[in-house]
Amino acid sequence: MARRKLPRRSRGTDGTLLASLPWSLAAMTLALLPHIPYMAPWIPIMFVGCAVFRWHLERRRRKLPPATLRVILALLGFLGIMAQYGSVNGISPGTALLSVMASLKLLETRLRRDQFVLLFIAIFLVMSSLLREQYLWSMPYLLGAVWLIMTAWLRLAASTEVSARESALTAGRLIAYALPVMLVMWVLFPRISTPFWSIPTAGGSASSGLSDQMSPGDISNLSLSDAVAFRVQFANNPPPPQQRYWRGLVLQRFNGRSWSSPEPSFTSRGLERIRTSGEAINYQVTLEPTQQRWIFALDIPTRWSLTDTAIGPQQQLTRRKPVDNRLIYTASSYTDYQTDVDLSERAQEYYLHLPSGNRKTTEFAHQLRQQFISDSDLINAVMAHFRTEAFYYTLRPPSLGTNPVDRFMFDTRRGFCEHYASAFTVIMRAAGIPARVVLGYQGGEINPLGNYLIVRQSDAHAWSEVWLSGHGWVRIDPTSAVAPERIESGISASRFSDAGLSWGLTAPSQLLHKIGLAWDAINTRWNEWVLGYGPENQTNFLEWLGMHSPDWRKMMLSLVVAVTLLVIAISGFMMLRYRAPRKDAAALLYKRFVRIAGIPSKAGEAPLNYYERLITERPAAATVAKKFIITYLETRYGPPQHTQLAQLKLLLVQFSKIT
Amino acid sequence: MTAEVQNKYIDAALEALGQIILGKSNELALALSCILGRGHLLIEDLPGLGKTTLAQAMARVLGLSYQRIQFTSDLLPADIIGVSVFDRQKGAFQFQPGPIFSQLVLADEVNRATPKAQSALLEAMEEQQVSVDGVSHRLPEPFFVVATQNPSDQIGTFPLPESQLDRFLMRIELGYPKEEDERALLTGQDRRELLSTFDASLDAAQLAALQTAACEMHMSDALLDYVQALIRFTRESSEIETGLSPRGALSLIRAAKAYAFIQRHTGVYPDDIQAVFPAVAGHRMKPADNSIYRSASDLTRHVLDSVAIP
Repeated sequence: MARRKLPRRSRGTDGTLLASLPWSLAAMTLALLPHIPYMAPWIPIMFVGCAVFRWHLERRRRKLPPATLRVILALLGFLGIMAQYGSVNGISPGTALLSVMASLKLLETRLRRDQFVLLFIAIFLVMSSLLREQYLWSMPYLLGAVWLIMTAWLRLAASTEVSARESALTAGRLIAYALPVMLVMWVLFPRISTPFWSIPTAGGSASSGLSDQMSPGDISNLSLSDAVAFRVQFANNPPPPQQRYWRGLVLQRFNGRSWSSPEPSFTSRGLERIRTSGEAINYQVTLEPTQQRWIFALDIPTRWSLTDTAIGPQQQLTRRKPVDNRLIYTASSYTDYQTDVDLSERAQEYYLHLPSGNRKTTEFAHQLRQQFISDSDLINAVMAHFRTEAFYYTLRPPSLGTNPVDRFMFDTRRGFCEHYASAFTVIMRAAGIPARVVLGYQGGEINPLGNYLIVRQSDAHAWSEVWLSGHGWVRIDPTSAVAPERIESGISASRFSDAGLSWGLTAPSQLLHKIGLAWDAINTRWNEWVLGYGPENQTNFLEWLGMHSPDWRKMMLSLVVAVTLLVIAISGFMMLRYRAPRKDAAALLYKRFVRIAGIPSKAGEAPLNYYERLITERPAAATVAKKFIITYLETRYGPPQHTQLAQLKLLLVQFSKIT
Repeated sequence: MTAEVQNKYIDAALEALGQIILGKSNELALALSCILGRGHLLIEDLPGLGKTTLAQAMARVLGLSYQRIQFTSDLLPADIIGVSVFDRQKGAFQFQPGPIFSQLVLADEVNRATPKAQSALLEAMEEQQVSVDGVSHRLPEPFFVVATQNPSDQIGTFPLPESQLDRFLMRIELGYPKEEDERALLTGQDRRELLSTFDASLDAAQLAALQTAACEMHMSDALLDYVQALIRFTRESSEIETGLSPRGALSLIRAAKAYAFIQRHTGVYPDDIQAVFPAVAGHRMKPADNSIYRSASDLTRHVLDSVAIP
């Protein structure tokens, strides 16, 4: 095989990139920064190393490393990614690979063209950070990064006379021109319910929130988190705090220590067992991703706007797939309801099952059963027990060991909601009353700015439901017996027995809290209108704009028309802008002068000639006209220090009074 | 020199010239701006309209050394630039400078000489020096040529070719005087005698300073737009066969600056461009064969009327 000899690319640097390289490096850095928290630390270090090395080479006018070394480095980088992530698919490995290769690209960047490639990669890195998260606060940053990249681009393309300031301004202008086009495309591009490609979810970073089982300590840990679980916008007045039970998962199985739920069944048998009275409460929920299949609704939901969502036999809303993106849905609930008034014997037995262990508690329940014939009396007695005995509500309960319910009931007596709910349900079951634990959130904070409810992870709560013959399932919240203010006014108002632990729950100052609420209000709008702009919102919005029954054809057509019009408008604006500096203010004033004089000037008539003609017809205005003409000529054609625009305007006013 | 002093000199020069050439203030201003713009002047008119008097008056008023060369059909280049004569005592050739070695040279009836003699003059104008027997001799500073020419339809003339007309910054016509001016001329003293009573208003150094000041007149972008629009029109119009060259454009600006300087404008105005345009552009443009604008003045008028001032 004949080897064709290709001209070898020279590896020498000659300092020609000294001016443009810092811009490219800065643009790359800005594009890389948002990825760093998700990257193995050796990748940013490698980038910095390559950048510094490349800069050094350019300054010393040394040769770039040879091709074989670069190939070896590229291979090592690839293997490093494989070792770190086990794959090159997915957001994190993908951006990591891109960053590594971009860093190595620096080592063969010799020409302007190579830098263009670097800037392309930078743009791609900026875009890929949107795959990971789309927070409002990160938008200005990303926009700034794009601006810098564009500026670097213009620095590369521009001749040396253009100042950096001008390049930055031009880049800003270009972005400003692009913005309306972007907006129109965003509004009009047809949304489809299933995305074109599924964005792989960021693996490993489990979001905080309720899990599908409850052990002592689970929720009290969650209580320290200020993260938002979901936000609720009520159609009318929100219900009072003590009715804000956000039903999530119903836990039925108890293994002596923790409560769990069988895999939630996807059936809609729950709905027909609900009887409601009173008025419905309508609201919209914006749920942060939970990576779980169940979603939250005010106790008890009867209607919801989501497909692929069913209410199971335990009246819990379950989706087919985990919630891995922010989910917006509307729902209707009734706080006055009855469920499962008729419960089969089998089901009753199911809700009475208890494992062995926790013997003291069981005994306690048996004693109560003998004392009280009626179920409601028994329940009241247990609640009174919690209220009157020395039980404490605490965020940091002591560890409980084996037989945790026994230890809690008779030794420590310090617990958070899950301890009380768990103990209460165990007692109920032991006493022969079917009972279960419900996981969800209780309360929430009304944001006066925007008038919506913020439910945080710290509002996570567990309570019990007991089945009473003739009443169905009745919600009993044992926590209310111990810490009634938790239910009445929310978690941050709770008086914990161990003062000083509440630092995570009370805002350091009112002002900060207000700022936090304002920011949350803005974010809510962002989530609702920007991130939540799906097919449904799009249809609504376009109908509101006056488009009849929008479908994708109409959208595409109006998109093409709108973008064309916009491009024409923007180019027209650019042309006007280009002409603007040439038509200076003095010239416009002279035009007005001629119009006021009422004698049209001939084509090619110089101002002084025009003046001669003017005074034959308007002798009275001769003095002012002469002053105006002279001032005009000096302003427009004289050196800049002779500019007298104000004087010119004044003379024009005088002239218009005379004529 | 302050602006006031400059103005005083210019006023004095114009006033003195105005006393000799009656009723031609516009032509005098053009002639003076031609000299302040460091250009040569071509005066084209019938005999007896004061061409020679004007040249003499300018030399006198501006304090320049003056020589007159009468161009005839038998004029030789050596008659203009001088000859090398063998000096017996020194045993070497000695250069005898011709009449061109003066600050203001009047080339009278330049179109009556043969092209060979004409080009000797025009080369000297262009180079500001003459070469004789391989030795260069610099012409004095400042150096102006005022050429006069009878309209070329007279018998026995060699009209200057376009390429050589281009060497003159301006071409002006004097024309007949107005009735009352002619009356004053007829009743007054002889012009040549009157001229001898005048003192110079300036000297060479002062003239150089005025030239420099004229060159520094401000030109705004708006004005350059106008100049370019004019030039573009002369090149694109179907009435004109050859439009203005870049040198023509530069000449226009140079002349307009000097004219604006004389008019005491703060910058070059469109009026200044229009004032010098016929004199600067008239002899540089050639009307198209089928054009209705036959004369240079008609043609320049047409251009000025057609191009709007931006």
